[in-house]
Amino acid sequence: MGSAEQISQLTIDGLMVGALYAVIALGYTLVYGVLQLINFAHSEVFMLGAFGGLFASRALVPDGGATPSGLASAGLVLFGLGVGALAGATAAYALERCAYRPLRRRGAPRLAYLISAIGASLFAFNLAGKEFGRQSVPVPELFTNGTVLTVFGAEISTQSLVIAASALMMLLAVDHLVAGTRLGQSIRAVAQDAECAGLMGVDVQKIIVATFVLGGLLAGAGGFLYAMTFNASYTMGFVPGIKAFTAAVLGGIGNVRGAVIGGLLLGLVESFGGYLFDASYKNVIAFAVLVAVLLVRPSGLLGTRLGRPA
Amino acid sequence: MTATPRTLRPRSTRTSARRPVAAMVAGLAMVGGLLAACGGDSDDGGKKEYLIGFQGPLSGESQQLGINAYNGVLTAVELANQDSSLPFTLRIVASDDQGQPEQGPTAAQKLIDNSDLMAVVGPVFSGATKASEPLYSQAGLLSVSPSATNPTLTDLNFTSFYRVIAPDTVQGAGAAEYLAKAVRAKRVYSLDDRSEYGTGLSGAIERGLERARVPFTHDGINPTKDYTSQATKIMADGADAVYYSGYYPEFALLTKALRGKGYDGVILSGDGSNDDQFIRQAGAANAEGTLITCPCSDANSDPAAAGFVADYKKVNSGLKPGTYSGEAYDATNAIISVLREQGTGASRESVLSAFGKVDLPGVTKRIRFQRNGDVEGSTVYVYQVKDGQRTVLGPVSTLVKP
Repeated sequence: MGSAEQISQLTIDGLMVGALYAVIALGYTLVYGVLQLINFAHSEVFMLGAFGGLFASRALVPDGGATPSGLASAGLVLFGLGVGALAGATAAYALERCAYRPLRRRGAPRLAYLISAIGASLFAFNLAGKEFGRQSVPVPELFTNGTVLTVFGAEISTQSLVIAASALMMLLAVDHLVAGTRLGQSIRAVAQDAECAGLMGVDVQKIIVATFVLGGLLAGAGGFLYAMTFNASYTMGFVPGIKAFTAAVLGGIGNVRGAVIGGLLLGLVESFGGYLFDASYKNVIAFAVLVAVLLVRPSGLLGTRLGRPA
Repeated sequence: MTATPRTLRPRSTRTSARRPVAAMVAGLAMVGGLLAACGGDSDDGGKKEYLIGFQGPLSGESQQLGINAYNGVLTAVELANQDSSLPFTLRIVASDDQGQPEQGPTAAQKLIDNSDLMAVVGPVFSGATKASEPLYSQAGLLSVSPSATNPTLTDLNFTSFYRVIAPDTVQGAGAAEYLAKAVRAKRVYSLDDRSEYGTGLSGAIERGLERARVPFTHDGINPTKDYTSQATKIMADGADAVYYSGYYPEFALLTKALRGKGYDGVILSGDGSNDDQFIRQAGAANAEGTLITCPCSDANSDPAAAGFVADYKKVNSGLKPGTYSGEAYDATNAIISVLREQGTGASRESVLSAFGKVDLPGVTKRIRFQRNGDVEGSTVYVYQVKDGQRTVLGPVSTLVKP
């Protein structure tokens, strides 16, 4: 393997994982933008989405059955993504309803939200562990994985392509939604000044729910994509959750494009760091980069306000 | 919140992974029931009850290996309790250490504090064993591991430690010989998970490779989920064989990453990966052709062990014995044989002092110990995944070409 080939390979691997971080990071960033609140239970939304998609595809592709191909594969991946997204959205909705809304009604202090989020997170993943078993569970093979194309000598597998394409579509869709639709306008309005937006006729409560659901849709679909490569387990949310949160902070929390850039950058840093030093130092390197960036730009790469131009 | 996961769980996903737990719980309930039934008359001249401890991972990612062993203990205890010639009954007290060194001492202390407990089967993992044995030695409580294979464990002056499985020096030498003479690898990538078990095994393999003059690269990676950059590193190294010294959840992900990148060399691992969960988690297509070495024979395909397999299935609601089930069964029977000799007058001290002289035909091997607590002699077997099934190729000695 030549070195250009390796650089190309590591870039592609990094972008793939980074795209997943970006998809999850959007959930943190959207909720932070609207509520100035870090939703620490978002990692469990991701996990529940992964199980949703996994069970859906498992119901259609039995263990030991033939691997589907062609249109059937595409349909199954989309179906898995859809169910994963739905499961994530349901979980995010339930989370908002049970863990946050009662606190907001009572005007609870900020710290209470944090405790509530951690509690909901512990509850959700322990319940998942009990119900779905403690072993890792793989997503059934929905397509035959092989090399599709070669870029500068790096082989790109079907799986990477599926993940990258799905993540890219979701990122573009969200960017369009936030920047160019009425819902996005309302989200941005609430993010800038909730009280004022309310006076202008925006239903703030509804926008908050919509923001959670949007984040849940993304995290759920992202969870399914993640499980296709790394298997699903009840504890799977923790590390990617922290990484996505890091990505969001790196890019500037509350900023949609910042989350995307932060995610991709973090993926690349991890990929190259893991190769050049030692795979075990991957996290050390990733967080060292975060600290370094925050020292220079405390508000992240693109600044922190949702909807404001970078 | 409660409603969400329920709607996510279709009926068909009550998977086989869950069943061992169910069987275990059912088994526990059964033993509990039996004892409740005879517990009442133990006061008025009924049989004496001895407790046997079990320490291993019964939850967590690597639980399958612990459950396999637990079910082996359960089988031996059930059979002993059906034997009317024994002047005592037995009960298992299980202590879950999740296979983690940090949780070992707590799990061990729980068993030590129970004064009716005569001996322990376990710990199952090497790291947890190293962390727990100082406590067992201090308490003078016999512990017999079915599976802790780290070579140094018997050199640490633990006074109450025995094991019925050969140390990794034996497995490592066998694996290296197989790599050199059967796989005929030109270059080996030896990767471990930096655990007590992994480093012991990779060290033993590398010494064997040195002797056989096969070049190798040593590398270690703490357990993680993302092995993509590790796979790139392995492929850049140009090795035509990869040996992973670690446990199945990580080996499955590593195999997936390597095959996903189109690695076409030979992929191998050791006894920590010798479970069907590996095939399930890696995906049958990725796992196909993978080789696994183990100082353990496969009870399911050994005609001499047919009786054990039948008993095991009966006790564990139809489950087949897994890796370490036979070893755990043998370890338990070795303890029972000492208790049988001592009748109702056994104590922790008397059981411990008599245990070194055990000589018993077990299902996995003849159970006889060296002075340091290691079992005498042992053969290393090679398994291969063929058509999605783990099959025994045979002992290394018959597979290598002279």
